[in-house]
Amino acid sequence: MSIAAPHLHAAAAGSSSGTFAGFGLSVRFILRRNWLRLLIWALVLAVMIPVVYSSQHEAFPTQAARDAYANVANTPAIAAMTGLPYAAGSLGGILVIKIWMTLAVALGFAAIFLVTRNGRADEEAGRTELLRGSALGRHAFSLANYTVVGGLSIVTGLLITLLALSENLPTAGSWVLGGSIAGVGLAFVGISALCGQLSSTSRGANSLGVAVLAVFYLVRAVADVNAPDTKVTALSWFSPIGWGQNMRPFSQDTWWPFLALLVFAAACCALALRVESRRDLGLGLLPDRRGPGHATALLASPIGLALRLQRATLVSWLLGAVVAGLFFGSVAKAMTSVLDPSNPYAQAFLGGTQNMLNGIMGTFVLFNAMLAGAYALQSLSGARAEESEGRLESQLAGSLARTRWLAAHIAVAAAGSAVMLLMGGWLTGISSNGAATGSALAGASFAYWPAVLLMMGVLLFLHGFLPRLSVSLSWAVYGVSVLVAMFGPLFSLSEDAIKMTPFGAVPRLPAESFALLPLAVLTLLAVVLGALGIWRFRNRDLTGA
Amino acid sequence: MSTTVPAVEIAGLHKRFGKSSALAGLNLRVDEGTVAGFLGPNGSGKSTTIRILLGLLRSDGGTARLLGGDPWRDAVELHRRIAYVPGDVSLWPNLTGGQAIDILSKLRGGVDHAKRNALLERFELDPTKKARSYSKGNRQKVALVAGLASNAELLILDEPTSGLDPLMEQVFTEYIREVKADGRSVLLSSHIFAEVEKLCDTVTIIREGRTVEAGRLDELRHLHRTVVSVLLDRDASVLLGVPGVNELVADGNHATFTVGEAELGGVLSALSSFNPRQLVSSPPSLEDLFLRHYGGVASASGTAAVTETGTAAAQAAGAR
Repeated sequence: MSIAAPHLHAAAAGSSSGTFAGFGLSVRFILRRNWLRLLIWALVLAVMIPVVYSSQHEAFPTQAARDAYANVANTPAIAAMTGLPYAAGSLGGILVIKIWMTLAVALGFAAIFLVTRNGRADEEAGRTELLRGSALGRHAFSLANYTVVGGLSIVTGLLITLLALSENLPTAGSWVLGGSIAGVGLAFVGISALCGQLSSTSRGANSLGVAVLAVFYLVRAVADVNAPDTKVTALSWFSPIGWGQNMRPFSQDTWWPFLALLVFAAACCALALRVESRRDLGLGLLPDRRGPGHATALLASPIGLALRLQRATLVSWLLGAVVAGLFFGSVAKAMTSVLDPSNPYAQAFLGGTQNMLNGIMGTFVLFNAMLAGAYALQSLSGARAEESEGRLESQLAGSLARTRWLAAHIAVAAAGSAVMLLMGGWLTGISSNGAATGSALAGASFAYWPAVLLMMGVLLFLHGFLPRLSVSLSWAVYGVSVLVAMFGPLFSLSEDAIKMTPFGAVPRLPAESFALLPLAVLTLLAVVLGALGIWRFRNRDLTGA
Repeated sequence: MSTTVPAVEIAGLHKRFGKSSALAGLNLRVDEGTVAGFLGPNGSGKSTTIRILLGLLRSDGGTARLLGGDPWRDAVELHRRIAYVPGDVSLWPNLTGGQAIDILSKLRGGVDHAKRNALLERFELDPTKKARSYSKGNRQKVALVAGLASNAELLILDEPTSGLDPLMEQVFTEYIREVKADGRSVLLSSHIFAEVEKLCDTVTIIREGRTVEAGRLDELRHLHRTVVSVLLDRDASVLLGVPGVNELVADGNHATFTVGEAELGGVLSALSSFNPRQLVSSPPSLEDLFLRHYGGVASASGTAAVTETGTAAAQAAGAR
């Protein structure tokens, strides 16, 4: 950036003056810094369309099969997790059931992380100051950021449309499919733009953005669970995700909610820029409060410091686990009242009520494990941040062994994820109205702890051998593991192949029976990888960013 | 002093980062109870050397001893006896300055509350503010308070005053003098010549990872030439033939040149026959010594600058 700044200065001086001077240059600069991330997001999301389409084409080859599916598709679980199955009798409609929500939410996450990365994170690191010091308009860089990330949504939507068209899906539906997903992405560009202005840290901006996304997801979930048949309810209009859903590709093909999402995004961005011109650089809207002038004995110990540094992360993930657990439990409860054991379709399709319930419980437990895994990675990557941001140096210059320092961070991540698993499972059980007991689901959930530990083992290994890439690579490993465990069958992966992956290897209780061997293997792998990584960390140079 | 273990003893130190060589045979010695200056331009390897001494980086060759121990293997025990102040202080944005000071002090072994509070007052630092809101100078003060509040045998300071204003630099100077009076040792890496000249007993100058000059400050001065500026009653080019006159720059009746210690008497007697109207002689400064090692051009113009504008130029060069 220090190299780019003089260029910006020279070029911007030549262009128009005003608060947006240097906009074009900022766009190019952001693209240069993010092109690989943008490309990966767009391709990975869009490629899900042909992959899922072909697997569903195989699963439901005839119209009779699709009609049979349509009779049983509308369960509270489907409605809550992926939205109302309004067109389960067509391939396009099945595609929407299987993948629309995942793509829309993933694009929302992409928007949040990318807007923060180029916005608040840069400001926090002091890089924005360098740019603003040159002849760059006050809003040029922020607007360029929103434009580029908004562009990602549009491009992803277009790719989705083109890939859907290439599968010979109906033209109007394909365009509405791409448009609805792009629209949700755009809405979250606006939301994260606001979050980046309100919070004074990148971490805070990301957490706020993710929290808003979770709330909007829950709002539409409640709306869909309570919908009469597959009719749109008023409540679903209180969530931008609901707006996207209500475009109903391959059915009504409604266009106007896309325009509403576009206006919503533009309004949020405009408001964000307005806040930006009213506040000082580096600050949020809320002023910093003073704190204690002394550290407590606990804080001054390695474990206390690690706990304090991860406090916000831990609390927000625990809160997430509580909300998710209660939500899953209530969906399970709704399932028990809807499922009629005498329903012939349920019998034929799913092999009986209890099996179906257990299968859904297994999915909820897997969700819970995903959350715990994400927390463990985020928490443990805080250790790498201590090193790359230069704070570890001062600590190790004190009388602190590297292993002891790292052990504190490992302990916080491991213990926190264990609590999340137990609590999330237990809450799902006790709120499911007898569909499963709290202790059974707590146990089923805790069976994933070895898989979570393996994620930590991977990060520790990479932290030792490839410190600079450790965080992004271990998130990639996590992402692939989760995708395979959740959507393995959609990718036409065999059961055996899925069983070879960290989250797939865990017996999916209560539907499957408990097996110790995979858990022992996962734990062993975690310990070996972790130990190698720690050994290497003890013997390597400290490395900066 | 020769009977005691030196606080720092480095010989032939090498360190590579990938293909580039950061240190290529560096020597450095800090005797017990002395303040050692460590000078070199940006990127010359000062911070790398200090990080090796702290066991944060591993050397690729040569020996490094810290208080008689191995800086890598014995890091944990040795660090109880040292205090470190980095040049670029990075703090936890969400914690207050006071919390950071306590955490860093505790890692070293404990907090001397009386000393800590006295330092906070002298450095005029508010310990209840979040580190996020601190300026560079205030972050530096946090590290300084944590470092100086300790009773460490050896202080390792990496450009510790780079963010401080002159008043705070003065406070820092006083504290280092106290440390020295206590018989403790200091390794002070710095860009500021005046600071090193004021505080240090010995100085080591490095360039591109090698030691190019090392010794006691007063001895080093003898090695180098006095700068003389004169105004004569005739054209100054007459000085060309005078033995002992070096690097002559003549401009009309005015001339500047350098002269070695041994030749000074002869040159002065030769000068008197040319009826000098003005004569200014400046003792060799650490800056001359430094500039001499960084390119012939820098050396010649640097010396001229010192004679003409005095300490202002020296400060400017130092700040650079």
